[in-house]
Amino acid sequence: MFEQTEILTVSELTRQIKQTLEEEFLQITVQGEISNFKPHVSGHWYFNLKDSGAVISCTMWKGYNSSVFFTPQDGIKITVIGRITVYPPRGNYQFDVRSMKPAGIGELQSAFEILKQKLSNEGLFDEEFKKPIPSLPRRIGIVTAIDGAAFRDMISIARRRFPLVELVIAPSKVQGSGAAENLVESIKTLNRKKDIDVIIIGRGGGSIEDLWAFNEEIVVRSIFESKIPVISGIGHEIDFTISDFVADLRAATPSAAMEIATPDKADYFAFINDFLYNSGQNITNLFDNKKNRILDSIGSYGFKMPLDLLRRKSQQVDGIVYKMSVNFDKQFLMLKNKLSLLSKSLESHDVKKTLKKGFVLVKQDSKFITRSSKFICGKETQLEFFDGEVNLNS
Amino acid sequence: MTKKIAKDTFENKLDRLEEISHLLESDEIGLEYAMALYQEGIELSKDCISTLKVAELKITQLKKNLDTLTTDEENFFEE
Repeated sequence: MFEQTEILTVSELTRQIKQTLEEEFLQITVQGEISNFKPHVSGHWYFNLKDSGAVISCTMWKGYNSSVFFTPQDGIKITVIGRITVYPPRGNYQFDVRSMKPAGIGELQSAFEILKQKLSNEGLFDEEFKKPIPSLPRRIGIVTAIDGAAFRDMISIARRRFPLVELVIAPSKVQGSGAAENLVESIKTLNRKKDIDVIIIGRGGGSIEDLWAFNEEIVVRSIFESKIPVISGIGHEIDFTISDFVADLRAATPSAAMEIATPDKADYFAFINDFLYNSGQNITNLFDNKKNRILDSIGSYGFKMPLDLLRRKSQQVDGIVYKMSVNFDKQFLMLKNKLSLLSKSLESHDVKKTLKKGFVLVKQDSKFITRSSKFICGKETQLEFFDGEVNLNS
Repeated sequence: MTKKIAKDTFENKLDRLEEISHLLESDEIGLEYAMALYQEGIELSKDCISTLKVAELKITQLKKNLDTLTTDEENFFEE
């Protein structure tokens, strides 16, 4: 205790306190729990750091807090490095934070749980808000680091599966300070484009710190507000971020997200092959059906009628022909009989019968002499009896 | 019907192909109509297959432009 020689003004005392404190606590490391965290529109952060016995108010200016990879939340423990400053007009002191990190991985985990619970209570993860993922996209928006392996993997998968699609990349930082704001801007930019069918937001694997941007509230909200369906593919299978919960669909990895977003062209080839086979089959069946109908018609009773009629007529004709031939034979026989009768009658008129009665035929020079005036006496004459000729030589 | 396939999108062509496929499965379809559909289906199939076979992945990069609402596009790279 030094001996006081003069009376101090308030300002003089405050100046001495300020000098003493600020010189003594120029570069110190403190651990405590955040409370009453308030990010100001100016970009500066105001909060309290506390433990069970004390509380100290803190500021973190915009130029410093921009390098913090996560947004502080009430209730999580952090380790800060900074100095004590005294503000004379109010007569108070505060901690001017230069750098900040979570006191441990567990702190980030609890920050994660706190925000997740809060947004879940708000209904951001509800099934009713999940938009369907289009099955045949024309344009896929991608929010990721343009120089990352995740992007290259996504390109090769899109090229292999469905090269008809167009990838529209909205490049973004995916880790570290400013990543969250970047991601938000990229999601908004794609939403303004209007012709994007689905958005993939992704990055490759990393630590919880690396993936932290996807746990930031502004990112989660911008995914929720996206009019375009969002597929998340962040980290590896085991990594879950809050973005995964709010996304319309969560894929295990960026590659898996692209697999989900793109149809496989092999399926289309298979579909077309099936079409060609089945349709060919259908057409053949159709032809067979029609052919069978034609054959059925030909074989049907109705169709056979004309042929039967023909046969019947033909039979009729045969009958008539038969009848005619029978009649002919009958007629023939009759005529034959008549002929024989006539020939008998003729026989009865035979000249020989007359000769038998005692008549004689007279021939001279082989001619029958039918009247006395033709007869020449003394000439050679033949007399023909019924039983022979007699020569008369005069 | 038929033959205005050139202007249609790949998706429309697939839809039409599916429709034709269903129509051809019907027993009541007329032979002439079936033949026309089959013809159309074969053309669509050829079209779709060649579209898929010649397709080249297009990649567009959006320029960052935080101040304005419009975004410029430039053709990015083709690996």
